[in-house]
Amino acid sequence: MKTILGLGKILAFASLFSLTSCGSYNRLVTLEQTVNKKWADVQSVYQRRADLIPNLVQTVAGAANFEKSTLTEVTNARASVGQVKLDPTKAPTDAAELEKFQQAQGQLSTALSRLLVVSENYPQLRATEAFQNLQAQLEGTENRISVERNNFNTAVQEYNTALGQFPTNMLNKMFGFKERPFFNAAPGAEKAPEVKFDFNKPAAPTATP
Amino acid sequence: MHRHLWNLVLGIFFGIWCLGFGISSAAFGAEVLPPKPPGYFNDYAGVVPKDKALALNEKLAQFERDTSDQVVVAVYRKMESDSSIEDYAQRIAQAWGVGQKGQRNGVVLLVFVDDRKISIQVGYGLEGALPDVTAFDIRTRHITPRFRTGDYAGGLDEGIDLILKAIRGEYKGDGGTVREKSRTSPSTGCGPLGFLIMLIIVLSIIRLGRRRGGYGYTGLGGPFVSSGWGGGWSGGSSSSSSSGGGFSGFSGGGGSFGGGGSSGSW
Repeated sequence: MKTILGLGKILAFASLFSLTSCGSYNRLVTLEQTVNKKWADVQSVYQRRADLIPNLVQTVAGAANFEKSTLTEVTNARASVGQVKLDPTKAPTDAAELEKFQQAQGQLSTALSRLLVVSENYPQLRATEAFQNLQAQLEGTENRISVERNNFNTAVQEYNTALGQFPTNMLNKMFGFKERPFFNAAPGAEKAPEVKFDFNKPAAPTATP
Repeated sequence: MHRHLWNLVLGIFFGIWCLGFGISSAAFGAEVLPPKPPGYFNDYAGVVPKDKALALNEKLAQFERDTSDQVVVAVYRKMESDSSIEDYAQRIAQAWGVGQKGQRNGVVLLVFVDDRKISIQVGYGLEGALPDVTAFDIRTRHITPRFRTGDYAGGLDEGIDLILKAIRGEYKGDGGTVREKSRTSPSTGCGPLGFLIMLIIVLSIIRLGRRRGGYGYTGLGGPFVSSGWGGGWSGGSSSSSSSGGGFSGFSGGGGSFGGGGSSGSW
């Protein structure tokens, strides 16, 4: 009788273990899918920004004697972004790869913000509807980039944490799950709100606290 | 046989405990997000006359019944954050879950009177109907010019009108708001395994024969008390405190926001 009870215990724990590890495996798969989905979202907002640039360049180039060097810089940065191709459906597993991607995008951010700063010297250009529309879109795109990057980082964090936890951590070796790298938190050049512009604000009428 | 079952139950609790660790690892910043407001139009700064606020609230509630789009307006005195208005506003909109979950059709208009900051946040599902350019136009050409002259009610009225005009027709409503339709149904997000575990837990609890006193509480239908929190948010005429029967309360449908819209100062 006693042995039967003991056997029952072992059976219970064994079935329990397979049950939880099955659940953990499924959870890891789900989390990995989420990471990939968020990565795709990140890619699409960066793509959205890249798509705006030809239009922006064209609009700005139309302005009388606009400084050529800033324009060239944007065009070049846009081109180098195009060269760093990462699989848009699968989040990178290599931290160096992501770093390279981030650097290229960061250069484009810098070039764009410089262009917008320079454009302040061209009030006629800034008064045009085309430029204002582009500016609104650029602002929106920068905001979206920061949101999607944050979402991606959150998803990666959840996935990486799950990978390191018991009993999941026994699975990653069996099934080859890998940790994913993060985006760095705003390393200066990447800081989105640099592109922010408020041309309704000639004398900064912010209320003093 | 009973001991066998008991072991199983214990083991399952252990399993849940292990899984629970993964979920509880979300990290939050130090800033304070205002709690979900009780109505569609919420004036915590006391800059809009009460009857006007109530009328706007009803208008927005009716708009959800007609279109299922949720548009929530909240006017505060100050931001409780060091972030930029666009980041802060996006997090607030996301936290409130404005818009339906599937359509993600929410719009949040936030105003911080003392900071002279305003933000229109557009949910993913309305980015086509209300693109950044339109939001920018509504903000800079229709709302903030009036704000500059101190006409908050007029600016908000016109801004809301234009937002509703832009997004009307994108989705169809079914005559009720989320709050009106809400029931306390248990979430079924666990899948069959979760269901099995829940079943076993429930069975084991029944078996153990332990009874606790009834809770008898529902989170719905009570009077709306906009409690002050953190000092900064309270002390305005919240539209909810008004009488005039039939105030329509707001419940978020679980919509999400990706930074679309337009934000700035005036």
